[in-house]
Amino acid sequence: MVGGLKRKHSDLEEEEEEKKWGWGPAGLRSYQQALLRISLDKVQHSLGPRAPSLRRHVLIHNTLQQLQAALHLTPAPTLTPEPLFLGEEDFSLSTTIGSILRELETSMDETEHPPNPVVPPGIQDDEALPQPDPVFLESLSSRYLGDTGLDDFFLDIDTSAVEREPVVTPPEPPHNLFCAPGSWEWNELDHIMEIILGS
Amino acid sequence: MLPGIGTLIQDMLWCFCQMKGTIEFGSTEADIISTVEFNHTGELLATGDKGGRVVIFQREQESKNQVHRRGEYNVYSTFQSHEPEFDYLKSLEIEEKINKIRWLPQQNAAYFLLSTNDKTVKLWKVSERDKRPEGYNLKDEEGRLRDPSTITTLRVPVLRPMDLMVEATPRRVFANAHTYHINSISVNSDYETYMSADDLRINLWNFEITNQSFNIVDIKPANMEELTEVITAAEFHPHHCNTFVYSSSKGTIRLCDMRTSALCDRHTKFFEEPEDPSNRSFFSEIISSISDVKFSHSGRYIMTRDYLTVKVWDLNMENRPIETYQVHDYLRSKLCSLYENDCIFDKFECVWNGSDSVIMTGSYNNFFRMFDRNTKRDVTLEASRENSKPRAILKPRKVCVGGKRRKDEISVDSLDFSKKILHTAWHPSENIIAVAATNNLYIFQDKVN
Repeated sequence: MVGGLKRKHSDLEEEEEEKKWGWGPAGLRSYQQALLRISLDKVQHSLGPRAPSLRRHVLIHNTLQQLQAALHLTPAPTLTPEPLFLGEEDFSLSTTIGSILRELETSMDETEHPPNPVVPPGIQDDEALPQPDPVFLESLSSRYLGDTGLDDFFLDIDTSAVEREPVVTPPEPPHNLFCAPGSWEWNELDHIMEIILGS
Repeated sequence: MLPGIGTLIQDMLWCFCQMKGTIEFGSTEADIISTVEFNHTGELLATGDKGGRVVIFQREQESKNQVHRRGEYNVYSTFQSHEPEFDYLKSLEIEEKINKIRWLPQQNAAYFLLSTNDKTVKLWKVSERDKRPEGYNLKDEEGRLRDPSTITTLRVPVLRPMDLMVEATPRRVFANAHTYHINSISVNSDYETYMSADDLRINLWNFEITNQSFNIVDIKPANMEELTEVITAAEFHPHHCNTFVYSSSKGTIRLCDMRTSALCDRHTKFFEEPEDPSNRSFFSEIISSISDVKFSHSGRYIMTRDYLTVKVWDLNMENRPIETYQVHDYLRSKLCSLYENDCIFDKFECVWNGSDSVIMTGSYNNFFRMFDRNTKRDVTLEASRENSKPRAILKPRKVCVGGKRRKDEISVDSLDFSKKILHTAWHPSENIIAVAATNNLYIFQDKVN
């Protein structure tokens, strides 16, 4: 977002214009997920040659947490079961973002040592930072978004539900199976995984 | 003319005075103005830009010969304050952009100002030289040393006039005290100390000492994953040298008294407005983030700017502001898009006029707004090239929010969000304002002046 930005027709604006939202449960959920998508984009693109803006990062992080909370609370519009996968995934993202913040702290804090005659006692031990996860370090240093190694980020995510098998016509799934192929959840998860994996 | 003795917004006729800056096709991102500040007399006007340069303008003295040039600001000094740096340890660039300039009160013939980028504060001395010594004994006019054995007489060197030269020299460099990005500097009323604030900490400096600073506020949590709030701005009280305020990304202001303890983590006063539940959205926190906080000249009030409003707070009332002004409420329905294009993170500043009766802040489309605190009237003006004829009177602008658009109104969808007025300044005693519009500086004057 730099100069020349007279009016950006985002997906969001177009959808707003098409009155796709509505404000029923489905519309609200779509809206929340769009925001989630935008927020994830921002987190992914926030690292650059310069130290990122901590303020912006914190504000986006807080917004993401609100979105996660809302997505937990808002019931799934179609199938009965709770979208547990989504919840776990949100949690992983939250952990990721938390780790990014922690990593930022590590990188920013390394040479923090002005000779300070008045050092309040509580400050002394905050330099013993947790060792940053080498996976994160590597990912950050390689501007993680565009690089390989991204898969390592999400080792704890169960992607089996969204891995596309060559089998074209799976057997008829039980009706109460969450995330049946072709279902609403399937499409949403697929979309979200696309974003995360940067494809 | 002193404003405030009856100068109401409806009586002000703002007219174009000057525009300083590069013409569009010649400018680069380095020319984007990032801070504007009058000195305490209004004689000097300083700007800082993204390229780390400081340009100081000086007001022309009244002259019988050139009456029409009275009050014109012309370039007085230009210097490179900060250079880009690279932190090899962290593999990060340190931007040379000047985040803030603050003047020190003038105590002798020289001018002093503080300028800061994200990491380092510098004290600059700007002084004039209009005489030079001539007639040295030990060296000749070109400065070459003379052979002492050839000197048969002694003479006393004399000062002879020369062309005025303005030189800027860095007198102090206050470095290595901020891990995070410096967002504010503020000179204390004792004129001996100043503070610098970054996202998580505020440090107190003595002007004479560069290798030490006192940490007076620290909001960094032990576990960074628990970080939910940052410091966004800070300022000293104009008269009480022990008092300062700092604002946060959660829309709160804390007033601290340095006499209570060395580390002012416990505030003396806490200003926060309860949230309006009807307006709650995912963006509530982001738009409540305060981007600027300024004490009134009187010291009785503080003004804060968040994304959509300007608020005035009475120091004696912590639970809500005494005045709230809508800057561009028509953006409330556009917050999603503004979040997506990052505009929602723009940090607008706000300023008081000399008598604290009018407040001013910027908006998009090169619009800026003034609010009269007494009459509650407001006006929207535009800093644009089209209105840049000498002494052209600025016509109030209006944004059409819906329904039929009148002829000279502009619709919300036509606003140019790349043209944002983040930095403005108001002369300390006259109705002269400086408005930074990207890479151009506009100076407007009240015609009545």
